[in-house]
Amino acid sequence: MTAVPERDGVGTSRQAAPAAGANGSRPQAPASGQTKPGTHREATLYRALAGAGAGDGRTLAQLREAAARAFARLEIPVWRRSGFWTTNVQSLDLDALVHGQAPASGTVPEVVARTVPERARAGRIVQSAGAVVHAELDAELRDRGVILCSLEDAFREHRQLAEPWYSKRLTIDRNKLEAANAAFWSGGAFLYVPPELAIEDPFEIVYAIEEPGVAQYGRSLVLGGQCSEFRVHEYDLAEDFSGQALHAGAFELYLQDGARCRLAQLQDWGAGEVFDLSTRLVDVGRDAYCHWLPALLGGHLVRQHLELAVSEPGGEMAFRGLFFTEGSEHLDAFAVDLHETGPSGGDVHWRGAATGESRASFEGLIQIDPGAQQTHTYLQIHAMMLSPRARVDAIPSVLVSADDVSASHGGTVGELDEAAIFYMQSRGLDRPSAVRVIVEGFFEPLIAELADEPLAQVVRAKIARKLASARADIETYATSR
Amino acid sequence: MADLEIRDLHVRTEEHEILRGVDLEISRGEIHALMGPNGSGKSTLANTLLGHPAYEITQGSITFKGEDITAAEPHERAKAGLFLAFQYPVAIPGVSVANFLRMAINAKREQPIGVKEFRSQLEHAVELLDVDRAFTSRHLNDGFSGGEKKRAEILQMAMLQPEVAVLDETDSGLDIDALRTVAEGVQRLHDEQGLGVLIITHYQRILHYVKAHFVHVMLDGRIVLEGGVELVERLEREGYDQIRQEYGAREARSVTAGDGGA
Repeated sequence: MTAVPERDGVGTSRQAAPAAGANGSRPQAPASGQTKPGTHREATLYRALAGAGAGDGRTLAQLREAAARAFARLEIPVWRRSGFWTTNVQSLDLDALVHGQAPASGTVPEVVARTVPERARAGRIVQSAGAVVHAELDAELRDRGVILCSLEDAFREHRQLAEPWYSKRLTIDRNKLEAANAAFWSGGAFLYVPPELAIEDPFEIVYAIEEPGVAQYGRSLVLGGQCSEFRVHEYDLAEDFSGQALHAGAFELYLQDGARCRLAQLQDWGAGEVFDLSTRLVDVGRDAYCHWLPALLGGHLVRQHLELAVSEPGGEMAFRGLFFTEGSEHLDAFAVDLHETGPSGGDVHWRGAATGESRASFEGLIQIDPGAQQTHTYLQIHAMMLSPRARVDAIPSVLVSADDVSASHGGTVGELDEAAIFYMQSRGLDRPSAVRVIVEGFFEPLIAELADEPLAQVVRAKIARKLASARADIETYATSR
Repeated sequence: MADLEIRDLHVRTEEHEILRGVDLEISRGEIHALMGPNGSGKSTLANTLLGHPAYEITQGSITFKGEDITAAEPHERAKAGLFLAFQYPVAIPGVSVANFLRMAINAKREQPIGVKEFRSQLEHAVELLDVDRAFTSRHLNDGFSGGEKKRAEILQMAMLQPEVAVLDETDSGLDIDALRTVAEGVQRLHDEQGLGVLIITHYQRILHYVKAHFVHVMLDGRIVLEGGVELVERLEREGYDQIRQEYGAREARSVTAGDGGA
């Protein structure tokens, strides 16, 4: 594990001393002096969006046009962190992929039926390849003003509601694939929950890829009205095909005053060569709350920009996440805990494991903007290496521009605990079972926080399957030490 | 033939030979105490009996119920009916005591244990060890106090119903009330289920509550003295040094005799 505790010389911001915590992280010294141009090497690779998006009053058509120009101009991206990390998308043959088309079947994909649990739900929208193939909404909720439809339909039927929020905080031209999404998205999901409405069952937003050769530009916009309370479960799923496919997604969720949302995302793109380059942003308004838990469980090359922004006083958030990479997968997750104003609270807790020859990088950034006084936040990342050839980098960083705040981070990286394995064996569990108990136990604190048993069971089952397929690998690792 | 037979057991770690020829027999329904100073090899014996991978058996054998288990995997020994209450129980974060017990019980069975049967067994064990029912919802040994860990060990023993159990310094770190509860629990499992027990301890205290039938004294990787409970009193009076002197003298004599015979 590489731990790079601070970034230096970024703009005028400075490091504030984090609260002395029980987490074992050392307080950081203020960044000193200027960094000479040309020699500046940032350990951290990404920056928060932290500001206005592209939606500045332009119409959808204008935004699409601007994005298309950016798309034409930009190259397929390569991201390099000095010395030890590269996310390179250049093996993606974008020209060979088709976007905007409905799938051949036109029905709910098999992989969705197989994976998403049958359970009570408030509504569901399913997109396969470039088109929405299924949309349903509880009739009573519809009568009470809830809207769940494709984003295309939202722009046809609810333009006045959707347009002011569309791309409000998402940019359209930071890289070629972001531009592609903003220019070419089709289908998409729009969810509006009116003020004061509390809904227990989840809304499901599903993106599926059934065949190779697809470029899926998914676009979701979710609005939580004042004091609304609801759950959103996003599923990103693909069949185990061979060949390339792309999901370039953009997701934005705006929580208005007092709204509360539990947002979970389950991603498993299967064994195909699926690239996923997505940006997700959650904006937490005044006294609002969001519990967000992405479970990143598979994809050939996955790069996720996940930003949770508290934009109004009193906002609180819990940012959870888990990942499990296997085989030769490459995961690059950037999670931002952004505080634009205070008082506000944040709590970031991620856990990840890696088997095979997979690579995972988690970069977690706490950013506290000027004036965001009385912000209290903490970031922790725990990683478990299950193979000698796997690698996990965990890079927490703190960027603080206010003085009356506490921000700190901690983390651990571990391997399998042989003492714990022997302990369990002595109770009758065989070695693979003992390993499974350890890894499941490692993830369980986060899985339990889903507070949703059907979804938790899906996550547990996926982790168990990954462990079973990595069994030989894990054995070799254990006996080699 | 005893249920558990240890014959001429020699064990080493990467650095040292620790056990230098241990012979011991334990059957169901018998309570044995194994005493000895720090570093004499008691915990090595306990861990070796369950197949700890850090200990290498270089000579001798372990037989359990007629089967040679010298090279068996730890979980096979457990399934056969051996149990080790650890001196330092390991935390298993994310797994509740109850869930772990269910897994361990099911590992021994063809069919998973029924909900009702499990619950009634658990209630019985909880009462035996005088712990709160909520205790079984906590993650196993995670954040447990020393006393809670030791109770959790015996709770597991009560649930798993082994035939022969090794208690590796279960008494250390327990206050007198906890010691009494734990010891009485062990005694009851012996009385009710016919459990065979090997109690490893430095101290006599626990033997006031658990009635040992046999006492063995280990020094430098060998059992050098065996007897009944009267041995405990002698140890209390004389300490290990006296025995070490006698034993050292005896060993010296036997070496001399050997030389003489050559």
